[in-house]
Amino acid sequence: MPQQPRPPIRNDSIYRRILPLILLPLAAFLSFISLNCLQPTQAQSSSPSKEIFTDISEEAGVTWRHFSGESQDRFLIETMGGGVAFLDFDGDGLEDLFFVNGGETPHGKSALPVRNALYRNLGNGRFQDVAAKAGVDRFSFYGMGVAAGDFDNDGFPDLYVTGFPASALFHNNGDGTFTNVTDRAGVKNAGRWAASAAWFDFDRDGYLDLVVTNYVQFSFSDVKKCELDGKPSYCVQKAYAGIPLALYHNNGDGTFTDVSERSGLAKLIGRALGVVAVDTNDDGWTDLFVARDASPNLLLINQKDGTFRDVAMDSEVAYNSDGVAKAGMGIDAGDVNGDGKPDFVVTNFNDEYHSLFVSSPAGLFDDKSVSSRLAEYTKPFVGWGVHFIDYDNDGNLDLVIANGHINQAVEATRIDVKYKEPPLLLRNDGKGRFHNMRDFAGAGFRAGQSARGLAVGDFNNDGGIDVVFTRLNEKPVLLRNNEGTNHPWIGLELQGTKSNRDAIGSRVTVDIGTRKLVRWITGGASYLSSRDKRVLVGLGDVPDSTEVAVEICWPSGTTQRLSHLKRNQYRTVVEPNADELPRENRK
Amino acid sequence: MATKTLDRLWRLLLFVSKLCCLTLLLSSYTTPCMCRVGLVAQSNSLEERASKALELAQSGNLESAEDELRKVVALEPDNGEFLQELGTVLAMEKKLEESTSFFERALRIEPGALVARRYLAANLWQLHRFAEARQNLQILLKAKPGDPQTLLLLGMVSENTADYSTAVKTLSSVPALVRAQPESIAALARSYYHIGDADKARLWLKELLNHPAGTRAVLLGAQIADEMQDYRTAEMLLASLPTDLSDQATVKYQLALVKFHASQFAESEKLVQQLLDAGHQSGEIYRLLGRCREEQHHHQDAVRAFQEAIKLEPTNVTSYLDLGKILLTERRLVPALELTRRTANAFPESSRVFVLKGSVELAAALFTDAVDSFSRALQLDASGADASIGLARAQFGSGMIQQAEGTLERAIANFPNKAPFELELAQLLLKQAETGDEGAGARAEQLLKSAVVHDDTLAEAHYQLGELELVRGQAQRALIHLEKAAKLNPTSAKTHFALSRAFRRLGRNEEAAKQAALYDKLKDQETSRASAAPSTN
Repeated sequence: MPQQPRPPIRNDSIYRRILPLILLPLAAFLSFISLNCLQPTQAQSSSPSKEIFTDISEEAGVTWRHFSGESQDRFLIETMGGGVAFLDFDGDGLEDLFFVNGGETPHGKSALPVRNALYRNLGNGRFQDVAAKAGVDRFSFYGMGVAAGDFDNDGFPDLYVTGFPASALFHNNGDGTFTNVTDRAGVKNAGRWAASAAWFDFDRDGYLDLVVTNYVQFSFSDVKKCELDGKPSYCVQKAYAGIPLALYHNNGDGTFTDVSERSGLAKLIGRALGVVAVDTNDDGWTDLFVARDASPNLLLINQKDGTFRDVAMDSEVAYNSDGVAKAGMGIDAGDVNGDGKPDFVVTNFNDEYHSLFVSSPAGLFDDKSVSSRLAEYTKPFVGWGVHFIDYDNDGNLDLVIANGHINQAVEATRIDVKYKEPPLLLRNDGKGRFHNMRDFAGAGFRAGQSARGLAVGDFNNDGGIDVVFTRLNEKPVLLRNNEGTNHPWIGLELQGTKSNRDAIGSRVTVDIGTRKLVRWITGGASYLSSRDKRVLVGLGDVPDSTEVAVEICWPSGTTQRLSHLKRNQYRTVVEPNADELPRENRK
Repeated sequence: MATKTLDRLWRLLLFVSKLCCLTLLLSSYTTPCMCRVGLVAQSNSLEERASKALELAQSGNLESAEDELRKVVALEPDNGEFLQELGTVLAMEKKLEESTSFFERALRIEPGALVARRYLAANLWQLHRFAEARQNLQILLKAKPGDPQTLLLLGMVSENTADYSTAVKTLSSVPALVRAQPESIAALARSYYHIGDADKARLWLKELLNHPAGTRAVLLGAQIADEMQDYRTAEMLLASLPTDLSDQATVKYQLALVKFHASQFAESEKLVQQLLDAGHQSGEIYRLLGRCREEQHHHQDAVRAFQEAIKLEPTNVTSYLDLGKILLTERRLVPALELTRRTANAFPESSRVFVLKGSVELAAALFTDAVDSFSRALQLDASGADASIGLARAQFGSGMIQQAEGTLERAIANFPNKAPFELELAQLLLKQAETGDEGAGARAEQLLKSAVVHDDTLAEAHYQLGELELVRGQAQRALIHLEKAAKLNPTSAKTHFALSRAFRRLGRNEEAAKQAALYDKLKDQETSRASAAPSTN
C-alpha cells in the first residue's frame, strides 16, 4: 500500500515562541484601543452610553399635581409655582419628599381640593403620599415654598411653609405626624406674600432661626390690567412694590421673636425671592445672600451682634455691570473653583442670563457668568430653582437649573424665547467653564417645562445626587442619578449637639491629598425649596490608596478632624464636646 | 414795423425787468418776468400773433398768451425770440420746467442772449437746480462783469448752497438791489451770521424795520434771527411792529416761537394761550402749545394739546408724530401703539410714521412687529439713519441676529456718519459675546475704537471701552475711558457705577464710595422719571 501523504508537521516549538510575540502586542494594542475609546476624554467625561438622569416620577408613584389658580385676572402669584423639600421626616434614613401646592384665586377654582403632598420614601424606588395622615396636606393660604429644619433640635425635621397672606410652621411630632404651631411660635408673617425661607443660626446659640424672603405688596382685590400686543397679560414684577425681609429669632422654647427691625432687615425693602445662608467671609458666623427680583441683591454680613450689614454693592453682587438690578429668583452657594471660598449662582430672567459670582482675593466677587459660559447657556431662559451639585462625583461642582417663562404670549413677539424651557445640567470642567450636558442628561432635560422649585437629595443612598423639580399646574419630575458611582464619594450626616442639630452653618473640608474640597451645610438655597442636609462629596479620581481626611468646622466654633473615612457610604458624625477632642483639635 | 415792435418790446422789457427784479427775489414762488429779448420777424402774421400774445400776457390772460405763442413756435420752431417769449409766459404761469426747456432751446440758437440766460438762471434757482443756475450766472458775469442783477442772483444761489462767504461777497456788492427786497436782505443777513459776523447781520436786519414791504419784511427778519438763535434781535424786530396790526396773531405766534426756541417755555405757552383765548385756533398753534407743555414736563396737558391739533388738522401728520413721541417718552405704550397703528393706516407713505411705530413696538418688546415697521420705513426712505438703527434693534430683539448685523454693516458702508452705526453694532456684538462668541467681542472692541475716532463725543462708546477694560482686570485703563464717558455724559448712572467699581479695584475706596453715591442719586432720579405703567416682559 502506498503511504498516505502526511500533513505538514507543525513546528510547535516555533509557534510556542513566535505566537506570543505576535499576540501579546496585539492584545496590548487592543486593550490600548479599548482603554482610549471607552475611557471618557476630558471634554467628554460623563458622556455616557446611558442617560445621566432618568425620570422615575411615574414608577416612583409621584403623581401629585400643582394647582396655580390660573385665571382671567392674571395675578402674578399664579405664575410663581411651588416648592419642594427633601427631608427624612420619619427618621428611617431615607429622604422623603414634601410638595407645596398653590391655591385657588377668586376666579381660578379647582374641581378637587387643593392639597400638598408628603411622599414617604418606601425604600424600593417608590413613594407613598401620607400628607393627610401627617396633617400637612392642607392649609388656609396660597402656598409657595418650604424650608425643612429641626428648629427644636429633637432630631426630626420640621416644616416652615411660606405663602400668601400667611405662612405656617409645622412641628414634626416624631411619629409620622405634624402639628401646626404657627401661632404659638409667632412666625405667621401675616399679611405678606412670602417666598423662600431659610433656617440658620445667626446668633450661634444652637437653635435655628428663620429668615423669610417677602416678595411684593399683593392683594387678590387689586386686579392689575396689563397687555402684550393688545392681549391681556401678566404684569411684570415692577408693577408691584417690594416689601421687607423678616427675621425670627428662635427663643429655644418653641417660640420665636420677630427681630426684623432690630437686625436691620426690615429696612431692606425690595422684591426678595431666594435666600441662602452661608458663612461668606469665613469668620464663623453665618451670613445671608438674598436674590431679589428687579431689586438689587443683598449680601448681608452677620455683624455678630444680632445685626446685619449689606455689602452687596461693595462686593459687586447687587447689580449687573450696568448697575441694573436683574430679576433674581433662585440662588445657591458653593465652591465652584476650588479655592475654599463660597461662590454664588443666581437665576434671572431671559436676556439677563443667570449670574455666577466668584469670590476674589480682594473681598469682591467677579462676575464670571460670561467666561464660565453660564451666560451662553442661560440667556434665553427664565431661571428659578438652582443647585450646585456634583452629579458625577468628580469633585467639581456642577449646576442643575429649573427654567420656564411666565408669559405664554412671549412666543408671539420673540422667535428665540419660549414659554416652556428645558432644565439645564451644566458640567463643571474644573477649569472655570461649564458644559451643557443636554444630550446626555436624559429626556427630562430635553423637553420644555414650566419648572419652578428644585431640590436635590440622594433618595436611594447610592451616592448619586438626585433631583426633583416642580412644574406649574403639572406633576413634578423626580430624576434618579445614574452617574453617582462614576467616582468614589463620602457622605456625612452631621448632628449638632452644641450647634443646631441640623448642623446648618458647618463647613466641611475633605482632604484627598492633591485637593481639598470644601462644602457647607447651607440654610435655604434654590427657589422655594429645601435640600437633603447631608454632605455628599465626590472624590474624583483619587487613588484607592489615598487616605481621605475631613475637617468639620461646626457652627459652635468646634473643629473636628476625621480620618480613614470609608468611601462610598454615609456616616453620621455627631458634634463632639470640646473635651472629647484631641488637645490639638480644641478651639 | 420793426422799429415799432422793437420800441414796444423795449418798453415791455423795461416794465418786465422791474417786475423781474421784484419777483426774482421772492421765495420759490417768485414769478419771473415776461420779456422780449429781440425781434425776429419771420412773417407779418407770426409777428402779429406774437405781439398779440404779449398783449394778452400783459393783460393777465396768460393761458391765451401761451396758446398763441405755442402756435407761433410750432410754425417757426427755430426762432429764438419766439422761444424766449414762450419761455417767459410759461415762467409766469409757474410752469418752470417747461419754461426752462424753451429758454435752453433759445440759448442754443442765440447763446449770447444774456437776458434770456439770466431768466433761465432764475428758473433754475427756483427749481433748486443750483449748480446749473450758478453755471449760467458765471457765463453771464464773464460776458458782462459786474452786472448787478447777475450778482444779486448769484448771491442768492450761493446762500442757498451754503456758500456763505460768496453770498456775502456778491450780495454786499449790490446793496441797492439787496435793499429792494426783504428776501435778499434776509439772505445776506443769514450769510453774515454763518460767517460769524452777527453785528453786520443785525445791521442788515434792521433795514427791514422801515422796509416798504412792511410787516412781511419784519416777520421775515425775525424768522432769520430766530433761526440763527439771535433771539434778542428776533424779539426786537417783532416788538417793533405796531400793536394794532391786523395780523397781530401771526406776530404773536412768531414771538411765541422765538420764546420757545430760547427755552422760555412758560412765556411761550402764555403767548400761545393768549392766541387761543382770542379765538385763533389752528393745528400749528396747538402743536406749539403741546411742545411748550412737554418741555415743562406737563405731559398730560401736552397730550391734550396734540389731540386738539389732530382734531383741527386730521390730515397733518406732524401732530400725530408729536403726540406719538410724547406717549413713547412717557412709556404709555398701549395708547402709543393704538395711535401709531391708526396713523400708519392714515399715512401709509410716511417713513417718519413707520419709524415712530417701530420705536413704540420696540419699547413694547413687540420685536417682530417692529421689524416690519422699520423695514417699511426704509422702503419708503432708504436714507433714514433712525430706521436703520431701529431695524437692527428690532431684529436683534426678535432673535434675528445675523440680519441685525447685516443691517448695521450695510449702514456703516452707506452712511457718511458711521460712528453711531459702529457703536450700535459694537453693542450688538458685545451681547453676542455673552453667548460665547469670542470673535464678536474682539470685533466689538475694534468698532468701538473706530467709533470714537470718528466721533470722540460718543459717551456710550467710551463707557463700553471702559467696561471691557474692567472685565480684563485693567482698572487703571478702564478709568481713562470711564472718566471721559462721565465728562461727556455726567448724568449717566451706569457710568458712575462703573467708575465706583474701577476705583474699588484700585483700592481707592473713598472715590469709589463717592461714585457709588452719585450712582444712587442718579438712579433714583431715573427711576422716578420712568413711567409706572405696567407692561409685560
